[in-house]
Amino acid sequence: MVSATQEQAASQAVRGRAKRQRDEELLVWPDLVFIEFIAAVLFTITIFSLSVAINAPLLDRANPTVTPNPAKAPWYFLNLQELLLHMHPALAGVIVPTVALIALGAIPYFDRSNEGQGEWLSTPRAWPLTILGATVGIVGTTLLILWDGSKHVVLWAKLTGHDVSDWPTKLNWLRSSRSLQTEVNWPDSWRHVPLGSKVLRTDLLGLPKINLNVDIPAMVVEQIIPVSMMVGLPILLSLFAWKIGLARTRRDHMILQFSGFIAVYVLMTIVGTAFRGQGMELFYPWQIKPPVS
Amino acid sequence: MATRERPQSRSLGDRAYDILFHNALWRSIFRSGYPNTPRNQMLVVATNVFLHLHPTRIHRTHVKITHTYCLGGLSFFLFLGLTISGVLLMFYYVPSVERAYEDILRLETDVRFGILMRNMHRWMAHGMVIMVLMHMMRVFYTGAYKPPREFNWVVGVVLLVLTLLLSFTGYLLPWDQLAFWAITVGTNMVGSAPILGEPNRFALIGGYEVGPSALIRFYTLHVIALPLLAATFMAVHFWRIRRDGGLARPL
Ligand code: HEM
Repeated sequence: MVSATQEQAASQAVRGRAKRQRDEELLVWPDLVFIEFIAAVLFTITIFSLSVAINAPLLDRANPTVTPNPAKAPWYFLNLQELLLHMHPALAGVIVPTVALIALGAIPYFDRSNEGQGEWLSTPRAWPLTILGATVGIVGTTLLILWDGSKHVVLWAKLTGHDVSDWPTKLNWLRSSRSLQTEVNWPDSWRHVPLGSKVLRTDLLGLPKINLNVDIPAMVVEQIIPVSMMVGLPILLSLFAWKIGLARTRRDHMILQFSGFIAVYVLMTIVGTAFRGQGMELFYPWQIKPPVS
Repeated sequence: MATRERPQSRSLGDRAYDILFHNALWRSIFRSGYPNTPRNQMLVVATNVFLHLHPTRIHRTHVKITHTYCLGGLSFFLFLGLTISGVLLMFYYVPSVERAYEDILRLETDVRFGILMRNMHRWMAHGMVIMVLMHMMRVFYTGAYKPPREFNWVVGVVLLVLTLLLSFTGYLLPWDQLAFWAITVGTNMVGSAPILGEPNRFALIGGYEVGPSALIRFYTLHVIALPLLAATFMAVHFWRIRRDGGLARPL
């Protein structure tokens, strides 16, 4: 049986905790409302000054017959437009963003621990994980973009004093990702595999025949390689961080992956905005001329 | 012992205070006296529809600017600013292919402060995308998505999508080359989806090419449908912050 004094002590402890919690609290008015007010005023001044200083762009009237080169989406979609240059449009335009958003929404259902909650990067190893994820994301994506832009050929030519066209014919398949499709001696039958009559025999089930030819070399370049890069490299990164003892908990892996994702997202937005010129080719920002029609 | 609210001595200031804040008009509007005592300061937050989005008390770590950098608050503030400047722009803008571009030109040259209004709307729209993304990063790196706040993170992801869609639908409205081709490129991406892509693209722009029906669709989405949706989800977002026990704190 619980004695009266014990009960009293317990209720006192509870009250004490509540009291300590209260001591840590401030009144929203004025403490928070004041800060919000100052933030709103500063922000209004910033927006106002920006709007006085810089005019919103307005080009010629829309003309469906005159395509500007390059034609770009708004900046926050240029990361997807960048993807579009390297893979199948269905992947870049729909599947990757959908999967990315679902993965983003799923983070709290994957990492359900309470560690590191409510404080900036407060788990052990949080900073190294952030830096590792961001660095690998930036370096890896940059290398992939340069590769697909055949910049390694340009580098080789510069270093050896050759011309870009001197690149050995035997190594033509290494010019870019796309050259795997065009410069490799694929068996001819691989370029159109009739899916309906060979693989998916829907006719055997009494359904209509599928009339679809699969181009395997194109599929390698447009789907298999990009997907294995986008899925495989993050997995390798997590495995690596786990092996060296950096990523131990789910929160650790989330920090690693989220940092990598944000870094890649920002990098591709910048590349798409500032480094893509005519024909969506790679240029330095200062070499890019305004779009021509 | 209860603290006395009304001053004892009747100096000039006290009398002015009484006249200003203890009259029937003030009471009819605000219910509580001027918020200069703890009691009134809590009452003002609890009884004012705009302030009651807040709790009356808040943990001191959350008042530090460096905890949130006000990023969620600024996203909301930008949404309000965009609504106000957007309503003003609607006075001058007709979403038809014949008029849209000319209306923007006239807004810039003939309307007093028209160009300022347009600039502010434009830069706030860009600002909101950036603020929301940075808010998401702050929530992630403070580990604030963890239980019980999982669902509010999901609501946040929906808000992110709505913010991008709001910005994207607004991009077409000036009907200049930038707008037209950006939307053409953007909607072509939608069209590339397997099976459902082409029908979706058709539904979005009301045809096979960006034209009059695309303009009216984007306009309607931009000024009515998406803002209502976003406001609804923001209400849920804020409600959930309160229900989940305020901002996340270390256990
Ligand atoms: C229109 C967009 C949004 C608005 C107006 C908004 C507004 C806010 C505000 C005012 C807060 C209070 C604390 C703060 O200022 O940081 C907050 C907290 C929060 N937001 Fe958002 N938000 C938006 C988008 C998002 C997004 C994209 C996410 C995540 C994907 C998100 C997830 C959260 C979570 C989980 C909290 C609770 C944080 C905590 O407990 O510390 N929100 N939001």
